[in-house]
Amino acid sequence: MIKSQYKSIGKNIQRRDVSGKIKGDSQFCADIELKDSISLKVLRSGRHHAVIENIDVAEAMKIPGVLKVFTARDIPGENLMGIINRDQPLLAHGKVRSKADPVALVAALTDDIALKALKAVDVTYTDLVPLLDIEDALAENAPKIHEKGNTLFTRRIIKGDAKTAFEDCHSIVEKQYKTLAIEHNYIEPDAGAGFVDEDGTLVIYASTQNPHYDHQEVVNMLGVEESRVRIIQAVTGGGFGSKLDLNVQGFIGLALYHLKRPVRYIYTREESYLATAKRHPFIIDMKTGTDKNGKLIAIKMRACCNTGAYGSYGIAVATRAAVHGTGPYQIEHVDLECSCVYTNLTFCGAMRGFGTPQAAFAHESQIDIHAQKLGIDPLEIRIINGLKKGSINGTGQKLTDSVGFHDCLKSVKPYYEKASKDWVKQKTSPFIKRGIGLGGMWYGIGNTGVQNPSTARIEIDLKGRVTLFTGCADIGQGSTTILSQIAAEVLGILPEQVRMVVGDTKLTANAGATSASRQTYISGNAVKDAAEKLASVLLTAGVNKLKVSKSMLEFKDHCIRVSGNPNKSVDFAWLAQRIHAKGGSLSWQGYFDPETIPFDPETGQGTPYSTYAFACQLAFVEADVLTGEVNVKKIVAAHDVGKAVHPENVIGQICGGIAMGVGFALMEEFEFGKTESMKDYHIPTCADMPEVIPIIVESDEPTGPFGAKGVGEPALIPTAPAILNALNNALGKRIYNLPANLERVLKASIESGHFSPK
Amino acid sequence: MAEIEYVRPVNLKDALNFLWNHGEDTKIIAGGTDVMIDVRSGALDKKYLLDISRMDELKGIELNDQGLCVGAGVTLSEIYSSDLLESNALALKKTAYNFAGKQIRNMATIGGNVANSSPCGDTLPALSVHRAKALVADKKSTRLVPVEEMATHAYISSLSPKQIIIKFILTPYQDGFADFQKIGRRRELAVSRISMAVFAKKDKEGRIAFLKFALGACTPVPHNMELMEKFLTGKTPTRELIWEAGGLLAQKMIEITGRRSSTIYKEPAIQGLFMRMLYPVVK
Ligand SMILES: Cc1cc2nc3c(=O)[nH]c(=O)nc-3n(C[C@H](O)[C@H](O)[C@H](O)COP(=O)(O)OP(=O)(O)OC[C@H]3O[C@@H](n4cnc5c(N)ncnc54)[C@H](O)[C@@H]3O)c2cc1C
Repeated sequence: MIKSQYKSIGKNIQRRDVSGKIKGDSQFCADIELKDSISLKVLRSGRHHAVIENIDVAEAMKIPGVLKVFTARDIPGENLMGIINRDQPLLAHGKVRSKADPVALVAALTDDIALKALKAVDVTYTDLVPLLDIEDALAENAPKIHEKGNTLFTRRIIKGDAKTAFEDCHSIVEKQYKTLAIEHNYIEPDAGAGFVDEDGTLVIYASTQNPHYDHQEVVNMLGVEESRVRIIQAVTGGGFGSKLDLNVQGFIGLALYHLKRPVRYIYTREESYLATAKRHPFIIDMKTGTDKNGKLIAIKMRACCNTGAYGSYGIAVATRAAVHGTGPYQIEHVDLECSCVYTNLTFCGAMRGFGTPQAAFAHESQIDIHAQKLGIDPLEIRIINGLKKGSINGTGQKLTDSVGFHDCLKSVKPYYEKASKDWVKQKTSPFIKRGIGLGGMWYGIGNTGVQNPSTARIEIDLKGRVTLFTGCADIGQGSTTILSQIAAEVLGILPEQVRMVVGDTKLTANAGATSASRQTYISGNAVKDAAEKLASVLLTAGVNKLKVSKSMLEFKDHCIRVSGNPNKSVDFAWLAQRIHAKGGSLSWQGYFDPETIPFDPETGQGTPYSTYAFACQLAFVEADVLTGEVNVKKIVAAHDVGKAVHPENVIGQICGGIAMGVGFALMEEFEFGKTESMKDYHIPTCADMPEVIPIIVESDEPTGPFGAKGVGEPALIPTAPAILNALNNALGKRIYNLPANLERVLKASIESGHFSPK
Repeated sequence: MAEIEYVRPVNLKDALNFLWNHGEDTKIIAGGTDVMIDVRSGALDKKYLLDISRMDELKGIELNDQGLCVGAGVTLSEIYSSDLLESNALALKKTAYNFAGKQIRNMATIGGNVANSSPCGDTLPALSVHRAKALVADKKSTRLVPVEEMATHAYISSLSPKQIIIKFILTPYQDGFADFQKIGRRRELAVSRISMAVFAKKDKEGRIAFLKFALGACTPVPHNMELMEKFLTGKTPTRELIWEAGGLLAQKMIEITGRRSSTIYKEPAIQGLFMRMLYPVVK
């Protein structure tokens, strides 16, 4: 079948979730009202590091309306969670490692009673030395937070001979960069509900990015058969990585298992802030060297991230930061290292970009510093070094297709040149300095150097109706719509004709996590695979009926017809009945696992990802030299997404990513122990949003579904670097610590001599 | 949330009566944008919430022989769109522009802002510039209190539990330069780190003939910064002069609060913001 033009791909069809969300019909976890549901609350340790000597629940149990106080002893299965390394108990056992550690779980008739009971649980602790930062945790005599020691993991990527190569470099830049913990701050706080159905299955509604993983964890924890637990993803109001870890699923599962009564648990914003994952704070030492023409020759990076009390996705974060440390540039000699260290803070986990945004802040600052030192234009130096088809990256992987970085640079170029000539020079208030800055990025799609398959199932019934079953959690980013477009494109029907069954472990197959910008590419391919299998049997049946070869048939309006001939067609219902009558299957499974090669453990050489997204953003920034206020006026954002399955959705991701990037650049600072809620944590509001000019670059990815890659995380990554480079351009002074808040910007203004009445 | 009884008297008289008997056990609620935070957190240990938000006696903005009267129950949204304030107290009107967000402005009242006694209350500098007095009443008496005396310490109001603020009486100023500016951690919905209000008039020779200025968010209770008035009145405003005045202002703030960790930022930023705000009056 040759297709001249796509029918569904690339079309801005109405998103599946729109109507429910606009009308208020969508049921988020907290909206799910189960009759007579009881309430859960967790007692958290409130101390950094301590041995639990005793937990006395007797007084709490006496309070009328308290049904049960659970401790670690009540967990029938394995009391450990973690998607990469299993180190996090559901309820603390023996010791607590952070103030957020759950020690007991109260089930009571109402929230108020449960809260009262929390106060009555009497826990005796013996405090241990708290280790609050990386330095403390790595100190020689530091107590061990986990038995294996305080360094969770180190990833090295070594290619060539950086040490020797630096000796011949013309320009060497060596700097330290620091970033802080960040709260995801999805608008829907974590929540869940559950009940036991007639056949004894524990049904749990979850606000989650990965229902099938939740399922495994709960099954494991309870030591029950897989079929005894069913996770249903409720409408989920954002995740950004935090909802990859379990929030309340385990607590609900435990209560259901013992009490067999409907339960629900809604975190307050304060609990969500205290107890859920954060973005890892990083310290990055980066050294880069170029020849006299600005070509990058060597890079050395020593980075360390603080994962808090538990690993969560820390290993993935450290790995990604190492792999992406080179930025989207070809560098021959590479010596990158990133470690992940335990401390006694609330655990850090996945957040949009897994360490790449932190690394990008460093490499994009470095390349601008080189440009400045060498008198090369910042855009030019990126063109000189940018990855292209045939380039070999730091892990020794040759990039063969869909390397759209230069196209992104090209798309930004006219805006960049015009702004350098006009906008930057225009007179404004005497106390405003304008600057522009570039941020480049690359981002591997999918999990790093490991298998991360997705599956999907598609079914046609005897009436010819098509249903797609996918475990892929739509957390607001729009995957359900996109997967329906992919299935529809293959089958020649309208996307809205594809009935979708999503994120329900009883009905759907595992699609892996909605993370790593992987769902369009990986689940999209699994869906395409399933749809193609179904298409193939439909075509075979069509050949039988229409008596021409497959190549002469096409899908059109829920029928198969002889190409271009509406009179010679047969509809899906007839075909389905025919296949069924002949004993053929009406249900087909699709599968896709991107081709990766695991890292060599010593050198980090391998093929971590089968494809990469690329982007370049240009920030227009005004800095008030008298007060340190920064106004991001405009961002031009060029993103290579392979193929935009739903362009408006891509733009939505770009705008959202930029909003988050503005926060990361200028105002978000999560201070453990201090930051309690949105009252003291500032994310940008619409007033802080710049004008966004999104540019979609499509460099076809041959392994992607209809050429698609991903954009979810890439949207955020270049924003902060672009803003920080623009600030440097405006003030002539660079800021190395994020965020560039009022204090840091005013300091930079003072140091650069701009703070004056002139 | 503890059990709190909600009471809504129909008029001011009934409200004052209620407070006379139950004041110690009562929290007044107007827009509730401060009070509800304490209700939710459990910090509010009162028996009654007395709702005064719908009382006519606390409403309205008018210019009469007392001065420019702004009812304590006037919302920030009403301030935002008041023509009378546009021409008689522009600095106060401007406080509403960056005050919270629209939803909060629709509820938040000026009386609540002052009574809450937060050092960061945005209406305080402008009220101070206009030499505003609060008309405060209990069942038996009324008195006029300068706004600077409405708080004894940060978050501690000088009101007795039996009292209600009825309105503010401002000195109207027309035809001069009026402004309010604030610095927050983001452009909207941010607590002021520094705020300032000003009203200035120049004479024919271009000298500053009249100036009122107030600094907000930097001192525990509002201070009317008369030194600015003294320093600038009669002088021709140049960039250097304004810069110098800004420096004096920062020193005055440090005199009041002592040096703190935030001073590293606030000291230059006060000078900077003062420069930026007064720049339009520079010849
Ligand atoms: C999201 C958000 C953003 C905010 N942004 C800002 C901002 O930008 N700038 C700013 O200054 N504030 C801000 N605030 C704080 C708050 O909105 C203001 O202080 C507001 O003016 C309070 O008015 P209210 O009517 O809501 O007071 P309430 O909450 O009803 O009352 C506040 C206090 O005043 C007392 N009170 C109220 N009216 C009277 C009266 N007539 N007589 C005696 N006592 C009285 C109450 O007992 C209480 O102690 C913000 C609050 C929130 C929640």
